[in-house]
Amino acid sequence: MTAYLRLVLLIAGKDLRVEFRTRERVAAMGAFVVLTAILFNYAVDRTVIHPRELAAGLIWIVIVLAGLLGLGRTFELEKEDGALQGLLVAPVPRDALYLGKVLSNSVILLAVVGLTVGVFAFFFQVTIPGNPLPLAGVLLTGTVGFVALGTLFSGITAGTRMGETLLPLLLFPLLVPLITFGAASTAHLLAGFPPGESAYTLRILIAFTLVALTAGAGLFRFIVED
Amino acid sequence: MSLRAVRWGGIGLGVLGVGLTILFHWQVFFWVPTEASMGIVQRIFYIHLPAAWVAFFAFGIVAICSAVYLWLGEEKVDHAARAAAEGGMIFTTIVLTSGPLWARLAWGTWWTWEPRLTLTLLLWFIYLGYFLVRSSTENRERGRKFAAVVGIVGALNIPLIHMSVLWFRSLHPQPVVARTDGPQLHPDMATTVFTALGAWTLVFLSLFLLRYGVARLEAQAERREAEGRGMAPSPQPGMTAP
Repeated sequence: MTAYLRLVLLIAGKDLRVEFRTRERVAAMGAFVVLTAILFNYAVDRTVIHPRELAAGLIWIVIVLAGLLGLGRTFELEKEDGALQGLLVAPVPRDALYLGKVLSNSVILLAVVGLTVGVFAFFFQVTIPGNPLPLAGVLLTGTVGFVALGTLFSGITAGTRMGETLLPLLLFPLLVPLITFGAASTAHLLAGFPPGESAYTLRILIAFTLVALTAGAGLFRFIVED
Repeated sequence: MSLRAVRWGGIGLGVLGVGLTILFHWQVFFWVPTEASMGIVQRIFYIHLPAAWVAFFAFGIVAICSAVYLWLGEEKVDHAARAAAEGGMIFTTIVLTSGPLWARLAWGTWWTWEPRLTLTLLLWFIYLGYFLVRSSTENRERGRKFAAVVGIVGALNIPLIHMSVLWFRSLHPQPVVARTDGPQLHPDMATTVFTALGAWTLVFLSLFLLRYGVARLEAQAERREAEGRGMAPSPQPGMTAP
């Protein structure tokens, strides 16, 4: 068990080290988030509606779009110099490889999620609740669930001619539960509702994430097998 | 199953299915009593409900065949999954066309974010992804595996999607046929629904078998062509990791 965990952490560590040295994905996603928020400011007519009222839903949409930007690159990097072949011949179970990728992608995306919430608080006076833990829990669960599906599907799209263009097409229909419950509980928490009311939505998010992780870990070997 | 049996099974079920389809259209237009509150437009229901049933049934077949394909690696099972997906796409399209036509008159709007509507629309897009993944891979076998993964993940997600769209409040009429206390319909209406259900299940199964037969013939033809060129039908030319 610990050996398995070590493998997962090794894979994730490798990806994070690459990301830390290049800062390619974080920079692109971060800039994307800030620029989207700026465009959003001009897209909303403040005499009709205040951006704050749409914030919860928009935070989720921005996370998903920024996530797509990064997830699409998960396997692009590995294409260079046959890096993935190297990983595949290494004595690492496919599911550990998948979970490692999910872990590193989650860490990167969580940084972007934090930035997104910050940007919305800064630009649109969205008030972060006094106890930010429930909100953090919702965002964390949602992000991991999204990354779990996204990593699996980016493995698929990397092997197709259409590439990253195909990713939203495969991913979006399956993200409905995530957006529904994620945005609803985010909206409630931002509006200052007691966190107990979000317990139900959080449970569904956890179920979604567990299903996505299990399916991904079980099916990943079929999409990289050679 | 031999190809001959598949072909004749498909033709037989097709004849039966088309016969029943004609019969249920006659029932819909001339026989069944008009529903009291909605009037004539309610008759769309006899087309809508069986199509929805078949669409979900087909997706079940896709999911099961996809899982079996990944498990056994048997090409035939993948042919079956694809045949079911094509049939399912047709019936999902029928649901999505007949629903809004009815809703325009019954609810006064073409579209609402109603759970079953939304779920069917998403199902249509999941099917679309299933076909796009398959057709945009250079290597056939990889395409089949990718599609199978999409089929399985899609099916696993359906209950969760269903929950979330249900939670997002409902306008759709509550079930009148599939209820624990038995159908709540006029007996003639129930007869018509069940005729329609039988008809379209048979039409679907017939299309499924015929398409499956064609897929197997295609695979045979390809194999022969490869042999004719003096090449072994290598299953994995230029297989690369993503």
